[in-house]
Amino acid sequence: MSLIRIALAGEGGQGVQAIAEIMAEAAYNQNMQTIYIPNFGLEQRGGVSIAFLQVSDRRIGAPKFNKADVVIALSERAIGRTAGYADENTIFVYDNSYPVPEAEFPKKARKIIGIPAVETANNKLHPRVFNIIIMGAAIGLTKIVSFEAAQEALVHKLGYKFEKDPNLKELNFKALQIGKEMAEASLQEGVEVHA
Amino acid sequence: MQAVIGESKKAFMTGNEIVTWAALAAGAEIMFGYPITPQNEIMHYWTRLAPKYGREFLQTEDEISAGFTVCGAVQAGRKAFTATAGPGNVLMQEPFGMAEAMRLPLVAVIQQRGGPSSGTVVYSQQEVTLTTFGGNGEGHRIVYSTATHQEIFDYVIKGFNSAWKYRFPTFIMGDGYQAKMREPLTIYEPRERGIEMVAPYPLVGKPGHIGENRDPAHLCNIYSLEEELYEVVMRHAADYERIIPEIIEYEEKECDDADIIVVSHGVVSRAADDAVKALRAQGIKAGYFRPITLRPFPQQQLRDAIAKSGAKKMLVAESAYGQLYRLIRQEIYGETIPIEGLFMPGVGIVDYDIITKVKGII
Repeated sequence: MSLIRIALAGEGGQGVQAIAEIMAEAAYNQNMQTIYIPNFGLEQRGGVSIAFLQVSDRRIGAPKFNKADVVIALSERAIGRTAGYADENTIFVYDNSYPVPEAEFPKKARKIIGIPAVETANNKLHPRVFNIIIMGAAIGLTKIVSFEAAQEALVHKLGYKFEKDPNLKELNFKALQIGKEMAEASLQEGVEVHA
Repeated sequence: MQAVIGESKKAFMTGNEIVTWAALAAGAEIMFGYPITPQNEIMHYWTRLAPKYGREFLQTEDEISAGFTVCGAVQAGRKAFTATAGPGNVLMQEPFGMAEAMRLPLVAVIQQRGGPSSGTVVYSQQEVTLTTFGGNGEGHRIVYSTATHQEIFDYVIKGFNSAWKYRFPTFIMGDGYQAKMREPLTIYEPRERGIEMVAPYPLVGKPGHIGENRDPAHLCNIYSLEEELYEVVMRHAADYERIIPEIIEYEEKECDDADIIVVSHGVVSRAADDAVKALRAQGIKAGYFRPITLRPFPQQQLRDAIAKSGAKKMLVAESAYGQLYRLIRQEIYGETIPIEGLFMPGVGIVDYDIITKVKGII
């Protein structure tokens, strides 16, 4: 697999670093070259948190990048903050559970895809698995890891929580599945192509 | 000493975590430190792991004290180290200078952040001048600049051996990106790779009686006579210059016929490597040169690369405003090759930046 670059951005507490780390772990477990680096500014004091993830079958160069293959922005501020990482080859994903002013979107993108992750999490699953829906979407879009490897990495990361509450495992796997399906469907539908 | 790693194995860790495992594997007995981003997790992991292997930790009241406690511990024959960054590196220059003056096998890991002063908590390559020539001394130090997680592990282990073998303070210099990112590597017991760790030994309080059956250790940091200081520094300088060929390390690729040589160090050299490959694929004869040791600097090797390639230009790419550039200029004084800079202080450099710059100047 040639190099895939993903930028995940959200508000502090939305869990973007957690899912980037889980995906990185999953890719590593599949013997891929992987670099994950958080943008470690002052998110805890109210900034946008960005995770940079790269997966390849070959040695990876610089830990950060200027343009991503996939950008996933989970808040209005995150969309503005990450628009610069998109170019004509980028799939730009945002959460369309809330309205976003057109001006916030990147000027260039291969595709701009809206996924109702917050709404789905709140209404169909549980707000706490919001980020897992996003992780499922990222995997559906990039195929950086298999669905099974993603499940394994989830168990590895959250196993101690699953043990306390077995329903959590099912909930997380469901969220992962729904996210993946939403992404795949939106890719096929080819919604909103912005030149 | 108890085996730490056991069978060599693959790992997927942050750079800070690797420093800790490497220091344990190298037989470090105690860490002295004071918290500062982005090296904090070295302390965190060390405090978690050290007790399991009978090692110790002391958090001191500040970085000056952390540096001096390392100076003290190594004199007592303990394999000790510290880690710091940015303003902490500034404060530690006094103990680092003392380690130079007294030839102490001090080991320090530097995870560069943005400056000046507290700057950013993130990343830079702005501690090159400070780490190589900081302090009121002559820069008699060994400074390794790592580029990959494998190198962090390898050079922390090597750093302890260089310090105890040559008795010059030794630095393993990374940065915030290397500290915080996760990347696969292989961790191992040094012995398994045929690396014999130099055993620590006390520098003071040795057996015997001074004047009867042994000479005084005479570890001096204050001199009452100017001439005395002169003699000691000249002796250290001669020792340092003698061991340079043994310590120098560098990486060179595609320089035989290069029209332009791209020089970088540390994490930026990953981008430079990719850039040179991409430029070559486009028919541009670019070469890659990377000093691994910034002190001592592989100046003869760089001069040789310039000579054999007949390159018409050199590009120095760094996440600082010319710190490596100045170091190179002083080291290869007399060379007439024009040197250009791609200076991006405090931010990362990717292959695209270097490719664009090379095309603009060639």
